[in-house]
Amino acid sequence: MAARPATPASPKNVKIKAAAPGIPMFGCGCVDVMNSSIQYYKMLLRVIFDNTPIIPQTSKSPDNVVTTSLTSNYLCLQCSTIVSEEDRVKHGNKKSHRFYVDSRSGSLYCQFCEDFVWDPTLEELRVRKIGTGSFSSRKRKHEELFSDSVKDDPRYISTNTAPASCKADGLRGIYNAGATCYQNVVLQSFLHNPLLRNFYLGDGHPNGSCGQSYCLSCAMDDMFQEFYALENTNGYTASSILSGFWISEKKAFENLVTTKEQDAHEFFQFLAEELHERNGDGEKPENGSEHSCDCVIHQSFYGKLQRSTTCQNCGGVTNAVESFLDLSLGLDTLAQKRGKKASKGVSLSLQECLDEEYIKSDKCEYRCRNCESMQQARRDNSIKLLPNVLDSSSSKGSRDKSAAKIDTPVHFPLTLNMLPYTTRGRSADIRETIELGRSCHYVSYCRVGDQWFAFNDHRVELATKSEVLSAKAYLLFYIIRSLG
Amino acid sequence: MSSSNTGKAGIIKAADDAGSIDKLAHTVLDDLLYNIVHDLLIKVHRDEKIARAATAAIRVEKLASDASDSSLATETRPDIRAETDAAVYDEGRTLLKGNPLETTKDILCPRCHLPRLLYPTDGKGARKPDPSIIYCKKHPYIDKPGYDIYGQTWVAQGPGRGKKKKDMEKKVETTPQDTPGATPTPEEGGGGKGGAASRPPNVLSFPSATCVKCKRCILVTRLNNHMGSCIGNSGRNASRAAAQKISNGSSNGAHNGSQGDGTPPNSQKGTPLPGSRASSPKKRDSDDVEDDDDTDNDAHKKKKLKPSAANPTKKVILKTKGGSGSGLKKEKVKTSSLLSVEQKVDDDDAEGSTVEVAPKKKVSKAPSPAKKLKLGVSKPLLSSPGTTKNGKTSKSNGSGGGGGDDGESESSGTLSSPPVV
Repeated sequence: MAARPATPASPKNVKIKAAAPGIPMFGCGCVDVMNSSIQYYKMLLRVIFDNTPIIPQTSKSPDNVVTTSLTSNYLCLQCSTIVSEEDRVKHGNKKSHRFYVDSRSGSLYCQFCEDFVWDPTLEELRVRKIGTGSFSSRKRKHEELFSDSVKDDPRYISTNTAPASCKADGLRGIYNAGATCYQNVVLQSFLHNPLLRNFYLGDGHPNGSCGQSYCLSCAMDDMFQEFYALENTNGYTASSILSGFWISEKKAFENLVTTKEQDAHEFFQFLAEELHERNGDGEKPENGSEHSCDCVIHQSFYGKLQRSTTCQNCGGVTNAVESFLDLSLGLDTLAQKRGKKASKGVSLSLQECLDEEYIKSDKCEYRCRNCESMQQARRDNSIKLLPNVLDSSSSKGSRDKSAAKIDTPVHFPLTLNMLPYTTRGRSADIRETIELGRSCHYVSYCRVGDQWFAFNDHRVELATKSEVLSAKAYLLFYIIRSLG
Repeated sequence: MSSSNTGKAGIIKAADDAGSIDKLAHTVLDDLLYNIVHDLLIKVHRDEKIARAATAAIRVEKLASDASDSSLATETRPDIRAETDAAVYDEGRTLLKGNPLETTKDILCPRCHLPRLLYPTDGKGARKPDPSIIYCKKHPYIDKPGYDIYGQTWVAQGPGRGKKKKDMEKKVETTPQDTPGATPTPEEGGGGKGGAASRPPNVLSFPSATCVKCKRCILVTRLNNHMGSCIGNSGRNASRAAAQKISNGSSNGAHNGSQGDGTPPNSQKGTPLPGSRASSPKKRDSDDVEDDDDTDNDAHKKKKLKPSAANPTKKVILKTKGGSGSGLKKEKVKTSSLLSVEQKVDDDDAEGSTVEVAPKKKVSKAPSPAKKLKLGVSKPLLSSPGTTKNGKTSKSNGSGGGGGDDGESESSGTLSSPPVV
């Protein structure tokens, strides 16, 4: 889908997609899509997706019996009738209307083919409507930041690149170089992060002209090339990453650099900081401050948290905004609270943790400027700006080595609606990468397309959704469903 | 609707005499089930039909471009008409004829225009691919326990396992021909090669990587440990390494020069880290079985050692025998490789109860190891503490090439690698 050129037409007047090699003009032999029917299809999609589903789900049978059904109805593309599946043929015969729209998915049904048809033009509208809620071609805000108009020219691309093999799909394991599984899982999650992938494969980091010796970003660039351009299916030896890791001198992560097993979350923080320094404005990313930069790491991983403190006496509100790399879940405290109530079998869901942290407020003492005295205050945390990749970890970000992985299992959904936790409405979800700690070993699960894969060092295996959901999650990466 | 006792799917049915609420509940549940199945189905249908439609389009466009003057217009779309069973190409427009699900039976890759392999070649749902067709390189992923999505598997990594299997093979090969003399030697070498070759092609062994600093080739499983010692960043490690060098220098004498910085500092600590030599006692346990075959192999081993000297697996066994003493004895053992049997006896005293069996054997064949060891040292560096100098050994492996390669890399992996992490 994404590979198709976006229709340049203005959103108000969608034209039939221009002929592209390898794609038929229409979804079936019977369709001869007119501009008018595109307009009408868009209207029907609005009826289906914008309003309450009760309208498209309600149909009137020929003998004027009104029924609301749970299963799909069919909206006629040529008149305003909504019919149930049983009455569809009758309506078609009577009025010789042949196209219908499924009331639950918006898919187009052709009465002649007696099948759903996937017309390139209409299907693109439908996908866009489901993805972003509007028909306008994607706001290319985020992409513009990473792209360069000259380099986006198709001719430039075709003359300067060689098509990668069909076999190179980025699914490779990474060899364990001796207690490095904590690195492997983070690297795998980076490799299957579409934002980072596009950045590196789009020549985002000038590998040749970097000049830095042992640059970790160059090592990442090499790794992306290895994964997405070569046909190799054996494991990858992340030696340059490892040496870059050994050579880098970061005081904060000094403890991390040993030959022993480390915390994956800390390695993630290390890698994010390191890559930010190589690609960003060179300033130290401080977790507490409202620092933002345009580097790929900030674009994808950093969000903003708003802490507002409301004085209980005068009602004055103080806001403080911080940028964050990962969303900590107050797991241990919540588990303790629960633990008191139910002695055994404490299990939490991710949403509960988020509720606790970002919806419920707590009380604290603070010095109010208006009242000029110590007052009781209410503290609220909410997310001001959601990152495109939301990382939530069940650790408390402590650098203390002895802090063991928290054992409380956290139930998490495959898609996460972040709307309740934000100050501004926006839903983020799908495709997460999880790393989990199983005693002393990390395994990472990533979704590629519709298939989940388990990456266990150099082993890559298929994973089922139930395996993923029953995994003990340690780090969860949720990636936004669509930009824009 | 409320009059019926089931929904659209007709799977969840209420009893005929059930109350109306009961019926309603069943109907709702049934409808929801229907919707779930419907959604799943429509998703698959969509992917499949779009792929088939694209296939039909690719075919007819190929036909059109073949029919037109290929020298003139490969880029621009030719103004001709072409038709297949599934689609029509008419002056730049590709139109479908009928339902592509019926007219087109296979799927062409939209990128390389080769047919897609539709079933995995192994594991769950596998079918034999048609050998006469060149398929697109993107294959369905394989779902088979013990194998990855490409149908690959690896040499087992656990302590001793990979090697043991190999030794079993060797045992089978060596025991039949007990004829002494020079004959076993080529056979043995061949055995090693056979081991590698008899492995199916989808069994991979661990690769080596080059250390950026010292440019030595290190087996990947040892890479982190190596970098710890080679690059090692903090002052803490450096000072420790220095201290070790000093202590090593006093006990190891001349031998130490060649050893250099290859010794990971961690492995010299008292604690039984998963470092290099610390694991040798463990190795010992797992090799119990091999002792038996050692003894019967010993007879001709002595002889054949002269010509071949560098049989990797045997060397490692030797090593473990020496190293099985105790952690403290390590240095001594190392020197003993230069010396003779007397020190071996010392070792026996110090030996822990776990390796009780070993001393007896050792006494019985005390002369042979000594002989071998001397030989080994005078030979390349191979037989000197192979485990500590992983870089060296694996390098010499590489140059040695052939079947020995696999044997060695496995064995060093087994000796050194910490239990699967």
